[in-house]
Amino acid sequence: MKEKILIVDDDEQLIGAYREYLCNLGYDVDCAMETEEAQTLLTHFEYSLVITDLRLSRLNFGGLELVKFIRDAGLPIRVVVLTAYGWPELKAEAANQGIDAFHRKPMRLSDLARTISVLTGGPHEEIPA
Amino acid sequence: MRKSLLETILNPEQLSVRFQPIFRIGDGDNHLHSVEALIRGPRGTHFESALMLFDYVHRKKEEKAVDHSCLAAICAEATKLPRHLRINVNVHAATLEQHPGFLESFRRRLHKHSLSLDRFTIEIVEYAPNCDIPELLATLAALRSEGVRIALDDVGLGQSNYRMMLDCHPEYFKLDSYFVRGLRNDSKRRAVVESVVTFGRALHTAIVAEGMESMEDIALVAEMGVEFAQCNLLCPALPLPDLMASGIIGEPALAFGAAESLAAAAR
Repeated sequence: MKEKILIVDDDEQLIGAYREYLCNLGYDVDCAMETEEAQTLLTHFEYSLVITDLRLSRLNFGGLELVKFIRDAGLPIRVVVLTAYGWPELKAEAANQGIDAFHRKPMRLSDLARTISVLTGGPHEEIPA
Repeated sequence: MRKSLLETILNPEQLSVRFQPIFRIGDGDNHLHSVEALIRGPRGTHFESALMLFDYVHRKKEEKAVDHSCLAAICAEATKLPRHLRINVNVHAATLEQHPGFLESFRRRLHKHSLSLDRFTIEIVEYAPNCDIPELLATLAALRSEGVRIALDDVGLGQSNYRMMLDCHPEYFKLDSYFVRGLRNDSKRRAVVESVVTFGRALHTAIVAEGMESMEDIALVAEMGVEFAQCNLLCPALPLPDLMASGIIGEPALAFGAAESLAAAAR
């Protein structure tokens, strides 16, 4: 069965590129652009892994809220944070929430694929980015 | 740039409407009573499912805005229904608290589509504990004075509790499918149905049972005093053209027979 991945980011072009790349690698990919949309998908579908930005709007760090939602619900989901903000305190807070990986944007697609493969334990062959 | 999901939903053109018939079953003269208008979210998305759509709307706390968008989509479709047919629409309790704003905006919307208020039944959904009861009841009274009927949805579940059943004193209780599935072989569920029927009789409120999965259960709820049935077994929620083509909407006496044929074909 395909690993199911949820990508959460308010950058439409970025999630479009991730989706296409990861689908080509054989993953089943859903996308959400805001916290509540992601929470709804997480409530109704089973995902192996979530890739989320931390800042999901100009107003707040909804990604942290999403990580907390996943952990509070006890969902057995790996979480990769991908963000343009590398502030140590933000990284520490994300780590406290129980994320599995923290990466700075921009991230090469092949590196992202490697991270996903390690976290899901799936041998997905990388294709050139 | 892609619109947010909420912005998409707030455009009524992005919503689609289906209609599910409600049949009178309790008086031996089975016929089509009304249709419930049901909303589906943007096509080709996970949010086409009403369950997911309204889960999302609830998380966004945007029930009021989305209710107005749904009503706009429903009214546009309802103009194509025969004029004798009653139409049920779902409205969150939070939206009905807006008194007199809700009635005025509903009236304006119906007027725009040449629809009359007295064809509508408003189904109250998702009453919240912090609901402003006096405002809600004022809206219900104003709606009733214009000929609108009131139904309480999901009776027996969540917040559709005895207080709401008493306070709103609706014309219809809609009994959730949880309580009627497999009724024939479940004495506890039969006890629940009997209690709601008894309570309904005391309040002069009719019962609509939802979600029966066998004709035997439909016959049983009718024997127990339930007057109306709404379930996929009789007819699923259909887009308007399919509903019109089904033969269910037409001569009232023929309607139930058409539904049985449709259900038999589906089996």
